[in-house]
Amino acid sequence: MSGSDALVLRDVRRSFGRTVALDGASCTVRRGTIHALLGENGAGKTTLMRIAFGLLAPDAGELWVNGVRTTLRSSRDGIALGMGMVHQHFMLVPAMTVAENVALGGRGRFDRDATTKRIAAIAKDSGLVLEPESRVADLPVGAQQRLEIIKALAHDARLLILDEPTAVLSPSEGADLLRWSRRFAAGGGTIVLITHKLRDALEFADDITVLRRGRTVLAGSRGGVTETQVIAALVGEAGPALHASRPSPMIPTDAEPVLHLDGVDYVDARGVTRLRDVTLDVRAGEVVGVIGVEGAGQHELLRILAGRLEPTRGRATRPARVGFIPEDRLHDALIPELTLTENLALARAGAAHGRLPWEAMRHATTGILRDLDVRADGPESPARALSGGNQQKFVVGRERHLAGSALVAENPTRGLDLRASARVLDEIARAGGSPPPAVVMYSSDLDEVLAVATRVVACFNGSVREVTPASDPEDLTPYARALLGAP
Amino acid sequence: MIEVILVPFLEAAVRTATPLAFAALGELVAERAGVINLGLEGAIIAGCLGALVASGVGGPVAGFAGGMAAGIALTAVFAFFVVDLRTDQIIAGTAVSMLGLGLTGAIYRGLYGTGGAGLSISTIAPLAIPGLSAIPLIGPALFRQTVPTYALYALVPCLAWWLRSTHAGLALRATGENEEAAEAAGAAPRRIRWGALLVAGAMGGLCGATLVLAQVGTFSEGMSAGRGFIAIAIVVMGRWSAFGTALAALVFGAAFALQYLFQSLGWSLPYQLFIALPYVLTLALLALLRGRATAPAGLGRS
Repeated sequence: MSGSDALVLRDVRRSFGRTVALDGASCTVRRGTIHALLGENGAGKTTLMRIAFGLLAPDAGELWVNGVRTTLRSSRDGIALGMGMVHQHFMLVPAMTVAENVALGGRGRFDRDATTKRIAAIAKDSGLVLEPESRVADLPVGAQQRLEIIKALAHDARLLILDEPTAVLSPSEGADLLRWSRRFAAGGGTIVLITHKLRDALEFADDITVLRRGRTVLAGSRGGVTETQVIAALVGEAGPALHASRPSPMIPTDAEPVLHLDGVDYVDARGVTRLRDVTLDVRAGEVVGVIGVEGAGQHELLRILAGRLEPTRGRATRPARVGFIPEDRLHDALIPELTLTENLALARAGAAHGRLPWEAMRHATTGILRDLDVRADGPESPARALSGGNQQKFVVGRERHLAGSALVAENPTRGLDLRASARVLDEIARAGGSPPPAVVMYSSDLDEVLAVATRVVACFNGSVREVTPASDPEDLTPYARALLGAP
Repeated sequence: MIEVILVPFLEAAVRTATPLAFAALGELVAERAGVINLGLEGAIIAGCLGALVASGVGGPVAGFAGGMAAGIALTAVFAFFVVDLRTDQIIAGTAVSMLGLGLTGAIYRGLYGTGGAGLSISTIAPLAIPGLSAIPLIGPALFRQTVPTYALYALVPCLAWWLRSTHAGLALRATGENEEAAEAAGAAPRRIRWGALLVAGAMGGLCGATLVLAQVGTFSEGMSAGRGFIAIAIVVMGRWSAFGTALAALVFGAAFALQYLFQSLGWSLPYQLFIALPYVLTLALLALLRGRATAPAGLGRS
């Protein structure tokens, strides 16, 4: 055990009931480095780091922090040892202010002024700036993540565990965060980056540990392993195609659009104009890719297309039911406590009446599980028992099952691993049925959009315009310019 | 003329509001920690009997202590089921209220016989605060009251400050909003909920003790008369804030006191109408305030 190791986990085991999550996982994190922890969904990355942070107790195995063997009883112990964890699903209290969230977990009198000063000092040191009195519920996702890091820094964290930090960020925000991580590590801090984005790991990490099925299958420095080795370790066999790719189908341009927006404006509840004068047609068989930085209007555009929002001005023509795959599946697409069959039945709640045909529902659910390779015990298992990737595959399958003519998807691969991402994208792009559906997909990952879209539109500051690709398909300049609103 | 009618009305309003406010502030603490304490009715009736029995042994101070202890004891049963066993809050709360109502009746009959001619004690006397009680109209209403009312005046700002300006208050509110986030930040949600419920039990007991020792002077079965459930409505009306809750309690106190006002005005309406008024008001206000809820996001989740 070298004193220069910030965190060492050795041969850690942990089961949940009969499910073995960790089956001998090890990881050595050197101080002053960025350490990428890679693995598919369910490989045990988050479980291992929750154990390191004190949120979970291991069944067996050793934990060493700063060269000292320790047992943590709670996250309080982890915090006291200078660790901080930013969870994939943020651990914030939305109804409270930034300052209150930062102060949470302390003792004695809660001194607002002192907390405000502390936040200002952290902003000065780290470059992470937030207004202490804003309500967390009003902050965009990127700012909420900043708050999570500020919270950890306020407790003097020198080792930060970031769980899929770039999953919710726009590409430029993601790059900012990784650059920030680099500076933090250069200043003697340590970062554990739980990620499924191979590129982030290979570009930014000093060391890489790969988990598969609860075991460490590869550990080494970035210079010491090749991309092929990492992919092989991740998936354990010949790697699947990273992204579905398909030729553009022939789409008759005179076909009637399935989704049609004409001069649409949208003003939100706070009076902010989110979309202005948007005109867009989506025809059967098309996959329209949407790109945009956070808050550019894509959130509202997708919801108007999906029939979840009505335009403030202008006209939106849609089929009676549009399949919708929202970004936050646990809040907007599934009721975790209900079974998969019930979740399928529920999606028709507004349109269907009378007795529920349970037998048919179960049959349909079984079909979805089979067609999309959803790993679940069966149609009667509760949605929460599934991993994130399997939940998302189920949602995609359900929406395709219920709405044949149009499908809208928002960041459908959020938090999914390579294999699940490829599968989900493939399902979204696969023009099944006759006529094939009209598909609109937004992703914060440009590669994903380019992999599936037959054409691309960009949102910038509420306007939506078509992006004309460069003659060289490898040249991404037109997309970058569109994201920045440049002509 | 106006003074003759209004002063007794306002005085009665504050007097009636006092026990309601105690129960509601206790409920406020529980709800900000994410627990709907439907067992409150049971804690109140337990507090009534506990206060009566203990005051017979050691006077009014022992009476208040006994009432609070009884409220805590009954609410501890609720806390065990809800926090440790994670059973459904609504079912556990209803069961505990039923238990309290049944158990107190049985104990009372066991102790004092079935004749109904129960033990009667002298109630504590109001204490007029020199100077302040001479203010016209509101002086007597606010400052010619019993000691518990004055304790309430001190409690409301203290509770508001505690919730807002201490780390413990912050952790309590976070537990009610997002238990997972509170735990990740190093707070201990289970301990916090236990603590909040013990406070709620003590306050429910204090409500019952105040009823018996400062107002009625005896015990009768079911004398809590739905105050626990009204207190829960008061918290909603008070928008989950200490001052709001105290104010809402006063509105309900006034509704109870209206019967005295109407009687002194000589209106001959059926008395059942006045008795029903606070309950009708509860329903009416809940309907009016619907949709503007700012309830703790994690309320009621076991």
